[in-house]
Amino acid sequence: MADNKRKLHYYPGCTLKEKTTHLDVSTYAAMEILGYELIEPENWTCCGAEYPLNEEMIMGLTAPVRILRQVEIEGGDKVFTVCSFCFNVLKRANEAIKSDPLKNKRINAFLKDDIHIDRDSGEKTTDFKQYNGDVNVLHLLEFIRDWVGYEKIRSLIKRDLSGIKVVPYYGCRLLRPKGRTAIDEPDDPSIFEEFLENIGCEVIDFPFKQECCGSYLSLSMPDAASEASYNILRSAKLSGAGMLALSCPLCYYNLDTRQDRIRENFADSPEIPVLFFTQLLAWALGVDEEVLGLDQHYCNPRTALGIDKSEVKK
Amino acid sequence: MTRNGKKKRIGVFVCHCGVNIAKMVDVERVAKELEDYPGVVYSTDYIYMCSDPGQQLIVDKAVEERLDSVIIACCSPTLHEVTFQKAAERAGVSPFQVEIANIREQVSWVHTDREEATRKAVRIVKSTVEKVRDNEDLEPIEVDVTRRTMVIGAGISGIQTALDIADQGYEVLLVEKEPSIGGHMIQLSETFPTLDCSQCIMTPKMVEVSRHPNIKLMTYHEVESISGYVGNFTVKIKKKPRYVDEVACTMCGDCEEVCPEVVPDEFNMGLSHRKAIYLPFPQAIPGTYTLDIDSCLGLWPIRCSACKDVCEVNAIDFDQKEEIIEEKVGAIAVCTGYDLYTMKSLGEFGAEKYEDVINGLEFERILSASGPTGGKVLRPSDGKVPKNIVFIQCCGSRDPENHKPYCSKICCMYTAKHAMLYKHHVPDGQATVFYIDVRTGGKRFEEFYHRTVEEEEVLYLRGKVSKVYKEGDKIIIHGADTLTGKKIEMEADMVVLAMAMEKKEGSEELLRKLNISADADGWLAEAHPKLKPVESINAGFYLAGCAHGPKDIPDTVAQSSAAAAKVGGLFAKEKLQHDPAIVPVIEELCSGCGICVNVCPYDARELDEERGVVTVKEVLCEGCGACAAACPSGAAQKRNQTDRQVFSMMSAILRQ
Repeated sequence: MADNKRKLHYYPGCTLKEKTTHLDVSTYAAMEILGYELIEPENWTCCGAEYPLNEEMIMGLTAPVRILRQVEIEGGDKVFTVCSFCFNVLKRANEAIKSDPLKNKRINAFLKDDIHIDRDSGEKTTDFKQYNGDVNVLHLLEFIRDWVGYEKIRSLIKRDLSGIKVVPYYGCRLLRPKGRTAIDEPDDPSIFEEFLENIGCEVIDFPFKQECCGSYLSLSMPDAASEASYNILRSAKLSGAGMLALSCPLCYYNLDTRQDRIRENFADSPEIPVLFFTQLLAWALGVDEEVLGLDQHYCNPRTALGIDKSEVKK
Repeated sequence: MTRNGKKKRIGVFVCHCGVNIAKMVDVERVAKELEDYPGVVYSTDYIYMCSDPGQQLIVDKAVEERLDSVIIACCSPTLHEVTFQKAAERAGVSPFQVEIANIREQVSWVHTDREEATRKAVRIVKSTVEKVRDNEDLEPIEVDVTRRTMVIGAGISGIQTALDIADQGYEVLLVEKEPSIGGHMIQLSETFPTLDCSQCIMTPKMVEVSRHPNIKLMTYHEVESISGYVGNFTVKIKKKPRYVDEVACTMCGDCEEVCPEVVPDEFNMGLSHRKAIYLPFPQAIPGTYTLDIDSCLGLWPIRCSACKDVCEVNAIDFDQKEEIIEEKVGAIAVCTGYDLYTMKSLGEFGAEKYEDVINGLEFERILSASGPTGGKVLRPSDGKVPKNIVFIQCCGSRDPENHKPYCSKICCMYTAKHAMLYKHHVPDGQATVFYIDVRTGGKRFEEFYHRTVEEEEVLYLRGKVSKVYKEGDKIIIHGADTLTGKKIEMEADMVVLAMAMEKKEGSEELLRKLNISADADGWLAEAHPKLKPVESINAGFYLAGCAHGPKDIPDTVAQSSAAAAKVGGLFAKEKLQHDPAIVPVIEELCSGCGICVNVCPYDARELDEERGVVTVKEVLCEGCGACAAACPSGAAQKRNQTDRQVFSMMSAILRQ
């Protein structure tokens, strides 16, 4: 059976191996059912988390480009991520090296002198070939729409999610900057909605799906971040949603983990379960509850998912 | 080289253009150096050649020195070539023996080294001498003119153009693709800055058009194709079947009552409904019902035919077919108007998602006494009076990164009008306008805007709106007040977006048929932005109204009358003269390969298969020279710009 699986490069990013392992695990579980064997590029590092805002910051682009070059060396023509930040950095770095000849030259000059030592054999590799942006960087939502196809997803659905009223939350990194590095039209996106509809959820439109969650301000200006997050949670609740779906670990931290911190400033801040889209996908495809990592959530999503308490006990 | 068997006598006149040329070019030296150049019998310089004494100098010297050819070294030929040709003609010199050597735009204005510039000027003049040596006297090609105009589009622009041409005594075909004439103006409620009712000032013009003996009204017609040239176009016009005999129809409305198909009403911007058989609006011209076949259940009587059964005058005819009508015209006026930029593109404003977020034209219909709400200001979602209304200007305009780079020009004024009319309807309501700048360039526009702010107490906030969304039945607006630097969050019952204007849908296709050009934004291109604002670059085509760019009604009417006057000028000529500097075929050299036929942008060249040579339709040839460059055997030689002339000009330039 395993032989039939198609190999596919997957870049998880650091947060998925630490704070949000449930995002990583649910991705593996869902992709296995969809028939893919995921390969993580050897020796992958942090992507840099932020795409350098300074045009001259070439160093900030070396990490993502090194990761993409590794995918190419391993024979991959595409790589997907589920973390919005990683997607944004990898996609934009790839675009820069593809469309900006000067950046291409400078980054490749940095990376040419890399020394790679094979983990098992200890064999040294030097003199790397030029990387020109030929690996296709995708977010899993795009991969599902364009490569897997919604029809296949629908045919593999094992659980009925029709009672789940969910709002899709894009955040900023999937949609901005506008143009080739965004997965959809920033002001009127629909890819997340389509995905949720196709796995059987009841999708509810809500106006704050592209608003900022507060991002890193939760560290430097926690009150400001709380306000931003509160507005999103409040709007989701007002729209009649029972759950919020997203793809970004930082948004998840701000909107789920910090829910009690938000209530310090906004007592009426609603308690609303926040799930990764991969958890919903895996759940729909019949993955066992234990795999989803539901205990890692601040706000228990079990009721929203329709998991009966008695079933949990089982 | 020779004229009437004698060597040509050439005169050179070097202009100072005040200091424009003289500052960077030693004009006296240029004149001096040309004195000894072969063929030149007279050479001088003068401060302003284009002045009366300057022209007289040319006339006097041409006579005195018995000049065959005249060269004026001065500014670009686009400015004064004709001036000097006329002057030379007074001295009996053919206009085709007058050449301009451009030493201003191509020398003095673009160089900084006087010595180098002078040397370049000398070479340019010498090369012009080489050209004029072989210039032939040509006779203008004369063509007849059909004194009949086709006006495309029957909004205010097309109507005004048609009326003004018709009043000059010339026939007009007024072609409109919609069932009725009237365009956007007939949809408007009241017009700024005088607040006169749009329908009241529009309908008399519409009636006049329909009654005018010189105007042939062709509604529900579309231009299919065009051939020919200025003065002699052949146009094919498609008559779309209306399925109603427009003469027989008495507009009783029985058919409408029984028609079972209900679709959104275009005239009311979808705010109300009409039937598949419909009258666009009560004052529609021609006054006839039209069966919209796309909405109709089908023409097979077996399927419905309710309208046909009920029509007492038997006006409904399911057997009508599309017809192609061929007409001859001498001029074509393009008055195709504009469309509003689609609200879909402004996702952040929830446009097309929330019923109460509407565009300016929709609000015009709501304000209009004949509109879907009977002239009451009611919001579309629940028919309540909006007590809090927000207007957002520049929706899609002045946003080169995301939308349109240009200013749509009329929105500042119509938003002020909207806000004012809203206050007239709902005196206790609050109107707020978000703006970037308020642009009120126009007669009595600024005063009107001040009235809106000061007397009607409309709140103007400078800043952009970032987001419009719904919470419950309230619309929430997020924005910034850029004067105080504060974030704004406010509630509203209704939002009106001043959408950008854009080129009419389908205008690219029409322009392709007409073979006339548009600018980067799709607006029709005028021949000169200042001096020829109503003519297309292609002879015989005129433009007016918003098809040429955003403009208000007064500007549109003025431009339409100007276009009509230009058409009158064209028709006043007995014969049209065509520039004889065309590219004929030297049949002995032509191999009949047909390459030039394909490169000709004017369809002026044709392969005569029988004789194996290409022939030229002289009146179509614009002398662009594309064929001359493409011809592999040198059979295509542009008159007065032959290969021989070009090579001797190059030799003169390159000779040290």
